[in-house]
Amino acid sequence: MMAGIWIFAENREQTLELINAGWNLADELGVNLVAFALTEQLAQEYIKYGTDEVLLLPPLTQEQPLESYVPVIVEAARNADPDVFFIGATKRGKEMATRIAASLNTGLATECNAFALDQEKKLLVMERMIYGGKAVQKVVCTTRPQMATIPARTFELAPLQEAKEGKIIRLTAAPPSPVKIINRNSKVQEAVDITEAKIIVSVGRGVEKKEDIALAQELASILGGTVGCSRPIAEELHWLPEEVYMGISGKKVKPDLYIGLGVSGQIQHITGIRDSKIILAINRDENAPIFDAADYGIVGDLYDVVPNLIKAFSNVLKI
Amino acid sequence: MKILTCFKWVNDEADIKVAANSHELIFDRVGYKISDYDRNAIEEAVRLQEQHGGSVAVVTVGAPAAKQSLKDALSRGPGKACFINDPSFVNLEPSQTIAILADALSKQEYDLIICGEGSSDLYAQQVGPGLAEKLGIPCATNVNKLTYNEGNKEIIAERKLDDCVEVVTVPLPALVTVLPDINAPRIPTLKQVLGAAKKPVENVTLDALGQNYEPRLQTISVLGATMERRHLKFGTEPADIKVIIDALLKEGILA
Repeated sequence: MMAGIWIFAENREQTLELINAGWNLADELGVNLVAFALTEQLAQEYIKYGTDEVLLLPPLTQEQPLESYVPVIVEAARNADPDVFFIGATKRGKEMATRIAASLNTGLATECNAFALDQEKKLLVMERMIYGGKAVQKVVCTTRPQMATIPARTFELAPLQEAKEGKIIRLTAAPPSPVKIINRNSKVQEAVDITEAKIIVSVGRGVEKKEDIALAQELASILGGTVGCSRPIAEELHWLPEEVYMGISGKKVKPDLYIGLGVSGQIQHITGIRDSKIILAINRDENAPIFDAADYGIVGDLYDVVPNLIKAFSNVLKI
Repeated sequence: MKILTCFKWVNDEADIKVAANSHELIFDRVGYKISDYDRNAIEEAVRLQEQHGGSVAVVTVGAPAAKQSLKDALSRGPGKACFINDPSFVNLEPSQTIAILADALSKQEYDLIICGEGSSDLYAQQVGPGLAEKLGIPCATNVNKLTYNEGNKEIIAERKLDDCVEVVTVPLPALVTVLPDINAPRIPTLKQVLGAAKKPVENVTLDALGQNYEPRLQTISVLGATMERRHLKFGTEPADIKVIIDALLKEGILA
């Protein structure tokens, strides 16, 4: 039977991360690790990364969105009764997971960022952020399958196991979807991938005009870093591309150094930067919440402080 | 077009404090609000009605005390409210809210249901797509542009996804979840605020639903998120800056 730890993600990287997340769990529960694949080539690859069985989804037509697979996945889950089902927490993944959970009458932990197995009850204790990141909620799912969506980069990629063998099972084609794609534009990568940056200079509302972002860029270039921002700078003012805003609904980053310039530190933004190794904040409001999240805080006008920082860093780094 | 728009009455997360030692959350003097993105959902419903006619009703699930939310919601333009309430409707997990809404709304007439993309308290982002699945209607999530094609009785929705922008057509009846950048919710005028009290409210009770709604997700604990930070504050003097830079060098952060 196919029961076991099930995995679905819309891309290769996240599937490999979830295979890694599910690997030990499958071992502990003594069950198979089962992953969905969108192509034969990926199916072969997922086996080499530790999957026991791959459920191969047939290709979609041009006008079928990825979500068209929901009925196919639901039927497979009804037949096989998986123990656990992890889905990559992309926007599509979260929609699909919710609809699958609703069809299977089970619970779903959205954006689970850590879990542990309660050995006695065989239940996953799953952690997620609530109240904009202010609190951590631990939940268990008391119905089958126990479901969670897991954000990208929560786990490392699974290691390659050349000798691993597994089985590929072909699923039936997705039924026609009432939702039809009439146009799709891939996002052009306007900026560097901020999630990979070691140093991030972040622009907040305290920066008065678009031209002043040059100051942040100068600081970033001296440090070999990249410029990011809080949500309003990208979504409301459109001063920087959406790909570089950090927060609960934006990018979650893990740099060695985060420097906030005029970032007030709304909890939604802090949630995106909380895994930074060091946080340095510059804000003229000494009560700004960013200082509660910072290792080093400079209370002062960024227009005075940043030029001095640039000078001081240049001296130290001998540029 | 008959539009239903769902909202959640939530604690204002900005008012929640975290106890220093126990890390428990303190809800004393916490205010309530219509969940942020649900204001965009209401605004979008009202905007579509202004363009195409029809009606807009707001729907919420909550404890009887959430009644105070209705005036706020109705002042934003909808013509009536559907208030699904019971004293047991507190701290509901998403699958419960979905089941309750599905049972209540299956008795309503609608062409389009608009929800926010996620609530500002739990942000589980499940009620929209889960409700569509339970009602057996198609949905489009993460929509940042919505138009109604009256001739074809369908909507055209622009979805902002991780790696692309996807434009889809969805036949009605349907459900959409909207992103905060779809519109800028208007501030109700005094006249609207005063008029809200006179708008009809339909009460739906647990008895009328004739069901029990057990949680499938059980909360084990909720504790304030902790972050180990140094919290060192400095002024703007060159000496201050030197201390910080020396510390960063010592950390090995600056190559």
